[in-house]
Amino acid sequence: MIKVNIDDQSSEVEPGTTVMEASRKLGIEIPHLCYFPGLSISGNCRLCVVEIDGRPNPSISCETQCQDDMVIRTQSAELFQMRRHIIDLFLAEHPLDCVTCEKAGSCLLQKYAYIYGLKETSYEFNHPRTLYQDDNPFFIRDHQYCILCGRCVRVCDEIVGANAIDFVGRGPGSHIGTPFDRPLRDSTCVFCGNCVQVCPTAALMPVSRNGKGREWDLERIETICGYCGVGCQIEYATRDGKIIYAQSRSDAPVNGDYLCTKGRFGWDFATSPERLTIPLVRRDLAYEMGLTSTSWKISEQSPLKIEKPDLHDSYIEVGWDTALDLVAEKLADIVRASGADVVMGLASARCTNEENYLFQKFLRAGIGTNNIDHCARL
Amino acid sequence: MKKSTPAGYTSHLGVENREQFEFLLPILEQFNHQKDALLELLRTTQDVFGYLPGDALQFISEQLHIPLSKVYGVATFYDMFSIEKQGKNHCVICTDPICAVAGAEEILRMSCEEAGIDQPDQTSPDELYSIKPSACLGLCDQAPAALVNGIAQVDLNASDSERLLHGRSANSRLQINGEPRILTKLIGRIPATDLVAHLSEGRFKALDKALAEMTPEEVIGEVNASKLVGRGGAGFPTGLKWEFTRQAAENHKYVVCNLDESEPGTFKDRVMVEGDPYRIIEGLMISAYAIGAKKGYIFVRGEYPAATAILHKAVDKLYATHYLGKNILRTDFSFDLEIRRGAGAYICGEETALFEAIEGSRGHPRIKPPYPTTHGLFGKPTAINNVETLAIVPELILNGGKWYLNWGTKDSIGIKLFCLSGHVNRPGVVEVPFGLTVRELIERYAGGFLGEPQAILIGGASGGFLHPDKLDTPLTNEALKPLDVPIGSGAIMVFNKTVNLWKVLKGFAHFFVNETCGRCVPCRVGTTQMLSILNKIDNQSGTGNDLEKLKEIGTFMKRSSVCGLGMTAANPTLTMLAQIYSQEDAFM
Repeated sequence: MIKVNIDDQSSEVEPGTTVMEASRKLGIEIPHLCYFPGLSISGNCRLCVVEIDGRPNPSISCETQCQDDMVIRTQSAELFQMRRHIIDLFLAEHPLDCVTCEKAGSCLLQKYAYIYGLKETSYEFNHPRTLYQDDNPFFIRDHQYCILCGRCVRVCDEIVGANAIDFVGRGPGSHIGTPFDRPLRDSTCVFCGNCVQVCPTAALMPVSRNGKGREWDLERIETICGYCGVGCQIEYATRDGKIIYAQSRSDAPVNGDYLCTKGRFGWDFATSPERLTIPLVRRDLAYEMGLTSTSWKISEQSPLKIEKPDLHDSYIEVGWDTALDLVAEKLADIVRASGADVVMGLASARCTNEENYLFQKFLRAGIGTNNIDHCARL
Repeated sequence: MKKSTPAGYTSHLGVENREQFEFLLPILEQFNHQKDALLELLRTTQDVFGYLPGDALQFISEQLHIPLSKVYGVATFYDMFSIEKQGKNHCVICTDPICAVAGAEEILRMSCEEAGIDQPDQTSPDELYSIKPSACLGLCDQAPAALVNGIAQVDLNASDSERLLHGRSANSRLQINGEPRILTKLIGRIPATDLVAHLSEGRFKALDKALAEMTPEEVIGEVNASKLVGRGGAGFPTGLKWEFTRQAAENHKYVVCNLDESEPGTFKDRVMVEGDPYRIIEGLMISAYAIGAKKGYIFVRGEYPAATAILHKAVDKLYATHYLGKNILRTDFSFDLEIRRGAGAYICGEETALFEAIEGSRGHPRIKPPYPTTHGLFGKPTAINNVETLAIVPELILNGGKWYLNWGTKDSIGIKLFCLSGHVNRPGVVEVPFGLTVRELIERYAGGFLGEPQAILIGGASGGFLHPDKLDTPLTNEALKPLDVPIGSGAIMVFNKTVNLWKVLKGFAHFFVNETCGRCVPCRVGTTQMLSILNKIDNQSGTGNDLEKLKEIGTFMKRSSVCGLGMTAANPTLTMLAQIYSQEDAFM
């Protein structure tokens, strides 16, 4: 273990721990833009500079590894000036559209501009990047807000493995792009949107946020993704009961900061009017059981010609107890009449391990058959 | 040229007409399908097609298993690659300050007119000509200069459109002067690649001595005794670098010769290699023996095709005569040498960016520490040295390290190659010991000043300006340090009173905007802001606040940039403001 002293707090860390990580463990927040936990170190924003005793110049804390008896200061008048100057330079390339920007409130550049007291850049503003790309239904790439921190490139390479984007060009004119700057759908992008998640500014924004309110207008609801058995935690930002966008949280135990394309963008089912929310029983069965007085309406037309039959023409809504009783009764009838081995269970990859375990238990112990399989095996 | 659809790109799903890229297969074989083949594959494709067709990038991406996005990122990083179709004749005209004061702007304008091109950086409608302005081509002693279809054309004048647009055989010369002529002794006297002649002049005697009589530690001991420091500009003690690399606990180690000489006004390394390649290779081999490396690379600047050809010839001859390969000079020492071509990026002269280029990536400098001595090329301990540094090494072995202390002054030991250009009568490389004054150097070896000097820039675009009052300052680190002027690579550019120095400064600011890799913020935004302020001053719309801003941003870049480029980019401006121009001058 290595002993370090950060802002007069002593700490012991594993060898190889960076000053940034050691500080975070102590609850000391060092300003940063390009650093993102879990991604490789880029060191390009220079914002996370700290003073280390014995070094003539401030060092960047994301890259510097702790050494024994290192004495580190994360705050000083000089560091404040240095960081302020860096934000000053960033603002020379970043339009101050905060009054209409949907990222306002969660934008890191805005946060630091506030902390370092910068209303605007003291330099001449210039627009090195002006591309606006809305070439897909999921997110918009608005390059004028891009600060070239490279988080998106690294997440795409290192976490997702899609390698869809990289730095294109050189110097002030460089930007983040796909090969030949072609639309994302022509690249290897899988639209997981993890680049959107890690983007510190409004350069990458979900389409669904467009005009749907600012950060402080939105309520946060935490839930578990229903798409598969992994159990990723999702935080929905909602307004008036409608989902505006989905994001992951770094403290999520299973998925951390990352989601797949379904979890991040495929949530429109949640408030869809077509979504089934209560059990339905076929109208003819329900009629036999005396649950309804009107029986199956047999159309005189060929079923192929009926455009879209209304669900309630053929089903009636019942309570859970009724529905489950009906299923249990029918299943028991079959087992009694033909033996347990005529029943087979096919479990789903969308269910959790625990649910799948219960399902096989139900078939083996409850029904009495070993006919159980799982769709992920096919 | 239309910009929207990439030329020659048929599908993102597969490459059509694969057979058209068959010429790449031998290179793939040669590199064993490793990723570091990327730059060479792209260079060859560019040479064959005149540009990089989309399908070629896709083909290379598939063959090397590198994502297309990375291949595209590399292809757009380096100057010498173009994604769009280029004209049949490719003309690159240097517009950096030395060539600019020699009339490059006029030449650029005339050649565009002649070729039927509205603006530089375009291709003529008949697709016959592409004309590109370029950063310094290392031909400042024969300015103005251009590379036409890869052949150096020098001493151009605007009426010479035939040579400018179609190129002819190279007409560049090696211009050398100075006293004593130790490193440059053979240059121009015997043919550069004539191995027999070089052997009879004592070439490889030092290597023989090192291998036969000295341990690697003793070799390092001699280099340490000589107090030799790196000649690339940073001035790190060479012996110490070798010692650290030797001590690094790792079996695979590399030596690299940095011939990515791109500092404006610097051309000594080109002259050394074009005139005496075996000396450099011998120095590199001795360094390999000293640190325990079996493999070496010479990274040649993309804009030096002649030097590359000479090195290839020299290396082939050395392999044929077993001076390279296994059991060199019948000892246990084995060494392989590869020549790698750059593709046009000043930043790749920075050692870690150079490693990235060899490895086939965008030339982004790495964060240091760790230093190359422990984590260098391919992550292995690497000793990387400048051409001039390696050129001295054989002499240190033959004469002993102490011999070198005879030259120079107490704090600036040894012999240095200076590159004189601009307003002097005889520009060229000058080999002298440290200690001569600027005036002595120019009057003795460069035929004196041309016109009345207004400012002297020492150390290239990342160097500093010297006021003509200070012409009697000795060219030593100790004398120049208080003036914030680094000797750096040894470039000395003289500007006389006919020159508008703001335009020169603007030229350098423009150079850095083009050459910054754009990764770290201080450098990316800083260089842009410096250029825009200098533009303002040049347009007579500057204010006192602008000068303050220039100083502020310059000082900040020095402190907080990732690599040497950003740290030194403001040097000319800062020294100009400190030494040459007062505030009133700026707004005259």
